[in-house]
Amino acid sequence: MHIPDGFIPLGQCAIYYVILIIALYFAGKWARANLDEKRIPLLAVLAAGIFAIMSMNMPIPFGTSGHMVGGALVAIVFMAPEAAVLVFTAVLLIQALFFGDGGITALGANVFNMAIVGGCVGLYTFKALQGMIGKYPSAFVAAWLATLVAAVVAAIEMAIAGTFPLTVGIASMALYHAFIGIIEGVLTVIVLYALEKFRPDLLAWNRE
Amino acid sequence: MELSQSDKYLIVVGIIFCIALAVLSPYIASGDPDGLEKSAEDAAVGEDVESPVMESPFPDYTYEPLDKLGEIGVLIFGGLITLIVGLGIGYALKKSD
Repeated sequence: MHIPDGFIPLGQCAIYYVILIIALYFAGKWARANLDEKRIPLLAVLAAGIFAIMSMNMPIPFGTSGHMVGGALVAIVFMAPEAAVLVFTAVLLIQALFFGDGGITALGANVFNMAIVGGCVGLYTFKALQGMIGKYPSAFVAAWLATLVAAVVAAIEMAIAGTFPLTVGIASMALYHAFIGIIEGVLTVIVLYALEKFRPDLLAWNRE
Repeated sequence: MELSQSDKYLIVVGIIFCIALAVLSPYIASGDPDGLEKSAEDAAVGEDVESPVMESPFPDYTYEPLDKLGEIGVLIFGGLITLIVGLGIGYALKKSD
């Protein structure tokens, strides 16, 4: 769901950049209060892993493809959407600058969708469901919903930008991302399970 | 920076994961449009609406002169840069003790 340059008028891009700057301020504050040295390698490895997994587009129905995003995963691992903001600002900036994937003018909007919307929907869905259905099923639903909601938000942004009509945008984005979300959910659960098995000390849910 | 043995393992596993995906994805990743591109097609958005504001050195994760090997190379490069930037951000912003 990387929005390219040209899909959002510059004036609107500026608004998303303002949101990005505010989010980075809070993410920096979160890091100074919570990011101990032990969890820095985890943050970096998640960023690199997310960069790599985004190259692995998997086929979904309707001649479309999709890859994992990872906003919900990062937010759940650190129990903080702020961590997703840091990771995605780095990943999306590198992708835009070096590889032309996602526009540099759309960076603010892309971080907003994948990290802020994806991270918050993912984390709070996880927290809401965890007590009822357990950690892993909650993580699956959280990651699936994060993908779907982020896609619908992107469709709304496209409508505000005048690039797609709202109805076609929401119908298409929701349909495709309902499938992409399944990939997201499965991989999110696998990574959380692997961390729980090999490095439970790194998972924030073991500290709260 | 002092890394424990288990943190070194984590980084090594991360690097191996990135290299494995970089080697595989040029061959097995789907070339179909992604959800946003396909939605743009469904909404009949013209090809010319997408207009990059700058030329990227490796457009769409390719390095033409080297074909598939170039794709693998740029993906490994991207993964390593991301890892280094991630470590840099972490150390720059870490909790002060």
